[in-house]
Amino acid sequence: MIQGILSYIIFLPLIAAAVVLCLPKRLESSYRIVTVVATGLTLLLTIIAVYSFDGGIAENINSEENLQLLEKSEWFSLDLGSLGSFSVDYFLAVDGISIPMLLLASIVLFIGAISSWNIRQKKKGYFALYLLLSGSVLGCFVALDFFLFYLFFEFMLLPMYFLIGIWGGPRKEYAAIKFFIYTLIGSILILIVMIGLYNSVYDPVRTGAEIGVTSIEQVQTMVQSGEVAREDIIKSFNMIYMADQANYIPGSLLSQMSGGEIIGKSARWIAFLALLIGFAIKLPSFPFHTWLPDAHVEAPTPISVVLAGILLKIGGYGLIRTAFSFFPDSAFHYSWMIGFFGVFSILYGALNALAQKDIKKLIAYSSVSHMGFVLLGLAAMTVEGISGAIYQMFSHGLITSMLFLIAGVLYDRTQDRLIENYGGLANRLPRFTIVVGIAFFASLGLPGFSGFIAELMVFLGAFKSSAVIGAIPQWMPVVATIGLILGAGYYLWTLQRMFMGKYWVKKAEWTERLKDLNSREYLMLVPLAVLVFWFGIFPDTLMSLINSSVEGFTDLLNQAIR
Amino acid sequence: MIELQDLISPTDYDPMINWILLLLGIPLLSFISSLFIKKNAPIWSTFLLLVNTGIAIFMAFSFWYGDSVSIKGVWFTLGDTVMSYSFYLDRLALLMIALVNLISFLVHVFSMEYMKSDRNKPRYFAYLGLFTFSMLGIVLFHNLLLMFIFWELVGFTSYLLIGFWFEKKTASLAANKAFIMNRIGDAGMLTGLMILFAQFSTFDLEAVKALMIFSEIEDGNWVAHFTNNGQEVMNSLDGRWLSAAGIALFCGAVGKSAQFPLQVWLPDAMEGPTPVSALIHAATMVAAGVFLLARVFVLLDAQALEVVAIVGAITAFMAAIAALSQFDIKKVLAYSTISQLGYMVMAIGVGAYSAGLFHLVTHAFFKAGLFLCAGIIIHQLHKLHSDEIKFNEQDIRVMGGLRLKMPVTFLCFLICSLALAGLPGFSGFLSKDAILLNATAWAEIKGGGYYIVIGLAYASVILTAIYIFRLVFLVFTRGFRLESILNKPGLMDKVKEGNLILLIPAILLAVGSISIVFGANVKAENTWFMQFITNPIYLVPESYAAFSLVDLSEATIKSLHGWVAIVSISLAVGGLVISYFLYRPISKKALIFQDAPEPRGALGRISFNHWYQDVLYEKAIVKFIVIKGKALAWFDEKILDGFVNGLAKTQVVLAHIVRWFDKYIIDGFVHLTVSTSGRIGQATRSIQSGNVQTYILSAMILLILLLLWLMI
Repeated sequence: MIQGILSYIIFLPLIAAAVVLCLPKRLESSYRIVTVVATGLTLLLTIIAVYSFDGGIAENINSEENLQLLEKSEWFSLDLGSLGSFSVDYFLAVDGISIPMLLLASIVLFIGAISSWNIRQKKKGYFALYLLLSGSVLGCFVALDFFLFYLFFEFMLLPMYFLIGIWGGPRKEYAAIKFFIYTLIGSILILIVMIGLYNSVYDPVRTGAEIGVTSIEQVQTMVQSGEVAREDIIKSFNMIYMADQANYIPGSLLSQMSGGEIIGKSARWIAFLALLIGFAIKLPSFPFHTWLPDAHVEAPTPISVVLAGILLKIGGYGLIRTAFSFFPDSAFHYSWMIGFFGVFSILYGALNALAQKDIKKLIAYSSVSHMGFVLLGLAAMTVEGISGAIYQMFSHGLITSMLFLIAGVLYDRTQDRLIENYGGLANRLPRFTIVVGIAFFASLGLPGFSGFIAELMVFLGAFKSSAVIGAIPQWMPVVATIGLILGAGYYLWTLQRMFMGKYWVKKAEWTERLKDLNSREYLMLVPLAVLVFWFGIFPDTLMSLINSSVEGFTDLLNQAIR
Repeated sequence: MIELQDLISPTDYDPMINWILLLLGIPLLSFISSLFIKKNAPIWSTFLLLVNTGIAIFMAFSFWYGDSVSIKGVWFTLGDTVMSYSFYLDRLALLMIALVNLISFLVHVFSMEYMKSDRNKPRYFAYLGLFTFSMLGIVLFHNLLLMFIFWELVGFTSYLLIGFWFEKKTASLAANKAFIMNRIGDAGMLTGLMILFAQFSTFDLEAVKALMIFSEIEDGNWVAHFTNNGQEVMNSLDGRWLSAAGIALFCGAVGKSAQFPLQVWLPDAMEGPTPVSALIHAATMVAAGVFLLARVFVLLDAQALEVVAIVGAITAFMAAIAALSQFDIKKVLAYSTISQLGYMVMAIGVGAYSAGLFHLVTHAFFKAGLFLCAGIIIHQLHKLHSDEIKFNEQDIRVMGGLRLKMPVTFLCFLICSLALAGLPGFSGFLSKDAILLNATAWAEIKGGGYYIVIGLAYASVILTAIYIFRLVFLVFTRGFRLESILNKPGLMDKVKEGNLILLIPAILLAVGSISIVFGANVKAENTWFMQFITNPIYLVPESYAAFSLVDLSEATIKSLHGWVAIVSISLAVGGLVISYFLYRPISKKALIFQDAPEPRGALGRISFNHWYQDVLYEKAIVKFIVIKGKALAWFDEKILDGFVNGLAKTQVVLAHIVRWFDKYIIDGFVHLTVSTSGRIGQATRSIQSGNVQTYILSAMILLILLLLWLMI
């Protein structure tokens, strides 16, 4: 194992970005090589990290001892006088919840880099921004200090804004600014909660050092009983500490025992809602999803892939890592609502997809539908539901990447994405049709593909929920099965309209441009198809990584509720 | 207390697993290799299927008398729940693997000739391999989750095969319809899986059955009590979920076995190649629903079984009516299939497990035989096509008199028809008789309105005889109507009997439809089938269990038997006679049949349009969903997104207002103030020419004080 491997994973793309910036213009063609090599190496490092990850440990989600590949050092600390000191750690680690996301991000970023091969204009800017984006996305999944996490979270926004706004389609400015403002509103909500949390959570280790006690439990009991003086308490951004209710300063705003109130409601509920909305925008869930179709349609293919494949997952990951971990009681309080929005998004996204004329918009709405499963699984608060939510994020990342690449294949050839402008493509592009068939059927949840396993787990967990923990009622998963039918409906209808029947395209000149897949496209699509298969047939590959962490996580939820 | 882990823990190595893997592996190999072999794919995959059939039959014979074999293992773990898989070989499974492989093999052989001139042969044979693989998966796995997986795969291959000629719009639409209708059923089945999993934490059928025995009804709640890894578990659901679980599982069968209200996909599925119709849409896939019902039979409670019986009877009757007036030979057979599946489903519903399965087996032979005969006719008529001769070779209006030119096909078709009509001496009689006997006993016990259910079943007997002999008379007797339609006498001479590759499978299937295959008996219960496959006992908690036919006294059965046999035989013969009078060569209908218009009377239209179910679905439900989708898309774009954009616009407008206010009001005020004070300075300078700045300063202070005073 390599020491500090997580840092390498984050900084490799960032260094590559600097390299791209330094390379002179006459070496323009090497930018993409640098990008592909850097993301490829990142993927390699991630695979090593996954390989060295021990799925057996990590039983308590709120203890640092169960984290792996841990890197922690003080980053900076400001003395704010009477307000106490402000200290931020450089704290990276993985557990069973973040490792699948890290793996997914590395895979998709690598595929996205290959997909960027044909970018023609302003190459330097594009590849530098792409690498910057890669670094911050990866950082987001491994940072466990809230400040650091937030930093990476915000840092994604900037490159994404420019990548859509400069290299996008006709309405790129509109889409970019919409994406930016939407996400910014979410970030502000998260920022507010972060500040609130910082004021409520202390660092038991450093506080212990301050008062000369080494046992964490002892420190916690002392703080809780008020034996430690206010100025000896050292506050913390540590997300692992935030997940332990004993680390909340008694009497502070967000403490579970003695929390404050805001407009007559528990401050914890409000904080939970703020985080929920902040990440639901990213996920996206109804009614915060309207940025997604625009951003997807306007973004260039590789950016759509990264956006749908990874960025949406930060929403789900953020919910697990922050909202649900810090405020399990509030999560339980709002579980009915979350489940409802999950089911609603499933059906709403599917019905919307049914009515779309633009294939990219169709895929975008199908994402809304599929991300509804993530919410439903989380709301269930059972092992099956949460595992299903994580599995769904992973699987959807792979499948949606495939779908957007497919849309890109057509767009590259004809610059047109309207479903009605094509017919009988199977005659002209037989191999492409096979790939489309695989992606469509994987996305509609055919057994044998990863999506089925994920949705199955969500369904099982959601149905069990009312008997096990009482979070959501049984009708929710039963109603959500309608989503499966609608999913089959819009995909098969699209398949039938675009690929079946007699060959026909709107403009005659497209015919010569419509050639079957080239080797670069195979290089992206075939590995994804293989992975989608693999995770549909051998779920244990991923489940062995996430099982014990999810169990720990649900235990945490259960304890908090009782 | 019963321990869950004991029920699902992996078993030791059993050599049987090799046979099972071989059985599954060979069709899978056929699927993958056919795509690459290309030219020799038909012969290669047929050979593979021959080997597989040999293995299956060998297994059936050598393990028939042994105990059931169960092989278990771990697929993956989900938290602390083990997702296991298990294979199970009992007599039912042995019978099914032999049946599926045999019919699949015969269809492979038939297809070699039938699909000879299709350039996509490799793809076709690959799909057949994939289908056989998935169908065998359903049969061999004994775990609801894995059965569900293969269940969906069967639906998927059916989609591929129906849409095999995807350039035809009708074919691709039919494929979609089939998949979506199946998916509706599967969504229901998934719900059943959720309920059982919530209760028993496993999908292993043996384990579920064992745990079901120990579950109880307490205060209206359905409670499962067992230990898991030594820890006590008590799962409780409302008692209604027990019935719901049965009905939900049945939903899967409704989709796959084409039962009311999802049966509309099967007639459309005839867009696929005819051998495919024989294999998938007559003998195997559609029977999978019945097989599933048999597998979960003991988990169904009284209410669920009642639903099953009623749905089955309704389906049988509705489809039999629809089969009366179709012009497309395959459509007649498709409706007939739906109707016969209705019988099987009804049999399961009334508790006649073995009778239903018996009908599954006999039906597989005679219906596949009928389809292959129809395939021969279609194939041979298709050869008449030329530049000036164009006609629909599936339309019975163009046929007639084919008996003379295709005597072997005629004989096979006739035998299979007699079996379908349920006349003594043919297999269909035995199984149908067994179903009717059990259904009658069931109605006797339940009484009242339940007689309507069996009334529908008896009515279907006479209808079956009418529609199938209508086909026999119209297709094979009198003269070749195409001659008079196209005005080309002598066309008949060009029609040839199919070659041996086409005939042999049909002959074998016809032979399998003779009752002697199941023993020289007139009584169903004396056949080897009914001797070996007997009705099991329900395992659901007692207060929810249905009346079991096992408890029926022999005297009751005996007293009913004679009566039922007489009624069913006379109904079948009656149907034959009616059909003879309507469609015999010299009858009025037969004389002008080439110009027969679509039926006009109310009953005729209902029959021809299959009770207008399709119209209802297309006009009401599909349209409603599409419109709803469009409405929601409009809402999403105009209202939701409009709101967001509106918010943004308001912001911009507000910003402009603020800017204007800032520029003209605030700034203007400052300017005003400055200029006023300047003027005041100007004015006062003349009076007191001293320290101007001091004056201005004091004026400013005064002004600020004034402002402050105004604001407060």
